[in-house]
Amino acid sequence: MPDLDDSAAVAAGRTADTEGPAPSRRSVLKGAAGVGAAGIAASALVTTAIAPASAATKATRTKKTSDDEATSDDIVVHVRDAASGELDVYRGTAHIEVHDHALAAHLARISR
Amino acid sequence: MSSHREAPEISKDPVADSTDLYAFVSPDKPDTVTLIANYIPLQSAAGGPNFYEFGEDVKYNIHIDTRGNGDADITYEFRFTTTLGDPDTFLYNTGPIGSLSSPNWNRKQHYEIIRWDLRGKKVVPTIIGQNLKCPPCNIGPLSTPKYATKLAEPAIHTLSDGVKVFAGQRAEGFYVDLGSIFDLGNLRPFENLNVFGKAIGLQSAAGVNATKLLNVHSIAMQIPVSQITEKDRPVIGVWTSASRQRVRIADSPGKHIFSGPFQQVSRLGMPLVNEVLIPMGAKDFWNGQQPVGDKQFAKYVANPELAGLLPVLYPDVFPRLAKLVASKKPRIDLEAILLTGIPSGIITGFTNFTGAVAADMLRLNTSIPPSSDPNILGLLGGDVAGFPNGRRVFDDVVSVELRAIAGLTYHLVDKKYKPDKAAGKLTDGLTPSSLGMPFLDAFPYLGVPFDGYDDPSS
Repeated sequence: MPDLDDSAAVAAGRTADTEGPAPSRRSVLKGAAGVGAAGIAASALVTTAIAPASAATKATRTKKTSDDEATSDDIVVHVRDAASGELDVYRGTAHIEVHDHALAAHLARISR
Repeated sequence: MSSHREAPEISKDPVADSTDLYAFVSPDKPDTVTLIANYIPLQSAAGGPNFYEFGEDVKYNIHIDTRGNGDADITYEFRFTTTLGDPDTFLYNTGPIGSLSSPNWNRKQHYEIIRWDLRGKKVVPTIIGQNLKCPPCNIGPLSTPKYATKLAEPAIHTLSDGVKVFAGQRAEGFYVDLGSIFDLGNLRPFENLNVFGKAIGLQSAAGVNATKLLNVHSIAMQIPVSQITEKDRPVIGVWTSASRQRVRIADSPGKHIFSGPFQQVSRLGMPLVNEVLIPMGAKDFWNGQQPVGDKQFAKYVANPELAGLLPVLYPDVFPRLAKLVASKKPRIDLEAILLTGIPSGIITGFTNFTGAVAADMLRLNTSIPPSSDPNILGLLGGDVAGFPNGRRVFDDVVSVELRAIAGLTYHLVDKKYKPDKAAGKLTDGLTPSSLGMPFLDAFPYLGVPFDGYDDPSS
């Protein structure tokens, strides 16, 4: 069975227009508390988008959506483990697991 | 309670907290099934100025398993939107609310419904209702005069496919003596036998309903049976769930950013399962799981902690139950009642078996007509149209489950077992009259909500 809780709005081709704020062109980078195993404290709102994925970036889009553009431009990044470069990227109703040491290290630096 | 505040996490999130689920063949329209999912527990009728409302950021679902595999085959998804008429007043209403379109009502809610047909390879969503109006909360005779006829009844909508829907405040229909039960398993009618009650000289007393004069928010549907059953499969399994997006950022005061997939934070099929059977350390996890995976929780049903506690709390009252518990034999009777439905051949002329998959769902055999003389003890009272064959609004699920856990139903799977006499008498001493508000004879069946002027004390 499709997981409704993860993909409902997507499969319906509808926008998740009631739960989020009006779309902005802003990207939101958020890190969880701590460094290393506990993650990075990088709860910064920045106006730049995430840097283009480096060659070292590996992304697993576990919740692919077709209407990401329509739902929201807000992007939330959770640095789950800075040491291993493990990040969660949330956008719209999507969740993408990313491994990117460079990006994780960059976020770690700017969050200090 | 049935599922009010039943797990640590959801007890802090009442807007998404499913409290009760009902499923029954509509007594006044027996070609339909009524499903009611309640949320937002323990509402004081006087809870202004910000009265209760559904969460815009919550996805409310009612799921139906039509094929007995523990998965949803049809899901009705409800999403709510709030409209603030005048942000410059602190008032919920600036005058009497005489209709659902009254400009005096400052904070209105409406909703849309998506029907998901999940039976094919391709998921088919259909928007079956949009801009459907909720009623306001029942405030008092000055603010919400003629509440039942001018505000609640107009909020019953009939959709193009013949489905009736209602979403809004109702009087609580679940009756239970919480204050006593959570005081070391005390049941007032038997507190003279409770080991702690006896020690301080308590005498048998009448039950006290902890939900009296309280309201709840209901999502109610009345659906033609043909739309939610398969050919030659009259038994359906029903559960409700609420989900939130995984990320929430407090962006600025009063403004949030939401992102990520929806994650289930609450679910409810059979009453009292997560409340009473699932241990504290697993309750939040249980709320996030799907019924199809409930085999992982079957051990808690097969060996319920409460069955072991009853002989301890009531010494010499449950000697046979004590032996049954000591034998460590799995409670196959409870597994059938709660996880698979009761197979045919166990109770003459009755089954609500959905298959071997252990799944917490409220199972309803839609081919059994409504009872003309219903018994609040349902199946235990010889009324096959009642709980655990679905659940009607008036069914005494507390007494039924207490008695079943106390061993009353074990003889169904072991003819040699003789239940303790007390098992057939267990009750918290309440009936529907303990609610203080009558049920309705027609959809949505739950009573008119208490208003804060007349019932402010709860």
